[in-house]
Amino acid sequence: MTEPQQAAPNGLQIELGARRVSFVVDEALYPLDTIQGAAYLFLDRCYVFLDRPADQRVAVVLKAKGEADEPTLDALAGEFANELLNQALRKAVGASNAKIREFILAKAFFSVDAPSSIDKLLAELDAEEMEPLEIPVPWEKTDG
Amino acid sequence: MTAPQPRRGLLTTPLRVDPKALAPEVGFFRYGVVGGKVLLTNDGGEFHFLPTERFDTFLRGKIDGEERAEMERKGFFKTGLDIDRMAGRIRRKKGFLGSGPHLHIVVTTLRCNHACKYCHASRTDMDRVDTDMSLATAREVVEFAFSTPSRVLNFEFQGGEPTANFPAIRFIVEHALEKNRYENRELLFSLVTNLTLMDEEKMRFLVDNGVMVCTSLDGPEDLHNQNRGWIGKSSSYQTVSDWMERFNAAWVDKGLDPNLFHVDALMTCTRASLSRGREIVDEYVKRGIKSIHLRPLNPFGFAVNTWKQIGYTMEEFLTFYRDTLDYILELNQAGTFIQERQAAMFLTKMLTPDDPNYTDCRSPAGSGTAQLAYNFDGSIYTCDEGRMVAHMGNDFFKLGHVSGSSYAEIAAHPTVRALAVASIQDALPACADCVYKPTCGIQPLHNYMFDGDLFGQRPRSRKCQEFYGEQADLFRRLAEDTDGRVEKIFRRWTIQRSRPGTVPYPNLPFSSEGSA
Repeated sequence: MTEPQQAAPNGLQIELGARRVSFVVDEALYPLDTIQGAAYLFLDRCYVFLDRPADQRVAVVLKAKGEADEPTLDALAGEFANELLNQALRKAVGASNAKIREFILAKAFFSVDAPSSIDKLLAELDAEEMEPLEIPVPWEKTDG
Repeated sequence: MTAPQPRRGLLTTPLRVDPKALAPEVGFFRYGVVGGKVLLTNDGGEFHFLPTERFDTFLRGKIDGEERAEMERKGFFKTGLDIDRMAGRIRRKKGFLGSGPHLHIVVTTLRCNHACKYCHASRTDMDRVDTDMSLATAREVVEFAFSTPSRVLNFEFQGGEPTANFPAIRFIVEHALEKNRYENRELLFSLVTNLTLMDEEKMRFLVDNGVMVCTSLDGPEDLHNQNRGWIGKSSSYQTVSDWMERFNAAWVDKGLDPNLFHVDALMTCTRASLSRGREIVDEYVKRGIKSIHLRPLNPFGFAVNTWKQIGYTMEEFLTFYRDTLDYILELNQAGTFIQERQAAMFLTKMLTPDDPNYTDCRSPAGSGTAQLAYNFDGSIYTCDEGRMVAHMGNDFFKLGHVSGSSYAEIAAHPTVRALAVASIQDALPACADCVYKPTCGIQPLHNYMFDGDLFGQRPRSRKCQEFYGEQADLFRRLAEDTDGRVEKIFRRWTIQRSRPGTVPYPNLPFSSEGSA
């Protein structure tokens, strides 16, 4: 038996049922990976079902793993809505900093500031080999 | 009174979050709410607390003055960002990459004279001498360990009760020391023992050769004996106590600093321990032990069968952890130094530019790359827990054998690569966004045991609950530390002193800590 729709704090229209709460998220507001990111954090508390009832719409059903009363289900939907905002912010922060993070990580792990020990060793070996062969000596100063 | 356990990832404290307000000059950050403040962390391992009402100001790039300068120095804004400093911090934090396995766990035998309620070490009875490591295998273990590239080699003897096969311990120590005359590595030996098979000759050998000793001490006598049943005539507690005192006296006789040279001890928390945190700490303080590791049960092996008797929820453990940490801090504030080791490990990550290279809390995980475990028969495993899983009938974590495998083969083994991939936080849902990502680590083996796959699901992971809860508690204490007294104690816990006069190991204070 489905209860009449209610409005969650952020304006989501929620439907309450037996041990379950459902609502539809607009993908124009929250991309699919944002919805999935929020859903992941609820895996220990409820069963999560995602569906696509229409283009640009994602239906979310949260089914409690045990008994759950109406306020509990209502709070569950509210927390999910809050988490959507957090996921959206994290996505924005990631996108805004993607290039500079890649640059910093490249600098951290692939920096050419200091030659590697193998490069140093090869340079030393090269230097040792050059002396006996007199390669550094100008050709006009060699015998013959 | 302790704070309620925070929910992982979810921000239940009212916080104005407006993704569209994000100013372009705001740098990369992760965030959460602890102690009534917003905690910000970043890739360089820096953290910063903001009042919750200032979070929106931060998002809009409107923080100014001294706080702006401080946050720019820490790398929370692109303006004023010192890229070289940030890159240097990341490189230093991940300095353990590529250094090779430093921890070599050697199971000299599966035989044990104890029948501890929580044992996960896959023991056999004392007459099963067929589970003793032969000296030929012991030689091959040393040869294999020296074939790895790490400049530090820590041979950690475990079992069973490793001293039940003391000739193997003696041989490995002597052969490694001899071999090291021309290998010139930094060598460390440690013995994880219940001490009940110790005698004067063994003790003299261990002390003379710089083998550090770590034993199990679960708390006061009744609690210790309740957890650790054995077949001896006297109580386990009394025997352990006597040998601890004799070892400590032997090091003093050699003129060594008792603050550095003493028997270390580990406690494992059972249901019976949950209400006795203060007594357990008092027992350690009474013995002059400066460090206690409050460890939850590892529900592998035998413990699975006794879980209903001695087990508990992670929430119950975290309540015990927080209450006991309250008491440890009280003691420190009153002038008695004692550190909690798990906290010290996390605090080293939080408060210093370094990572302690704790193999059980790293990303990528240290299994197979920072540690290897050698079973009595010469089989090589990713870690000691991997060996225990094999004892339960699953060889997934077996990498090879000392007589037929090269280190190159072990390092490139599909299981080692899978463990590395499964423990890179940046690629794991929930971990990548978690505010504690810079200070946390992954144990894929735990995921495998509980979820049936190496990746697992963070919200259902017991290890994630443990690490998240402990870090949340430590950051909460820092957030509420208005006079700096707690941070002063915490910083002292991060200072490691090496033990001069024995085999050196300057940067590797932590081991895997098996059960004695």
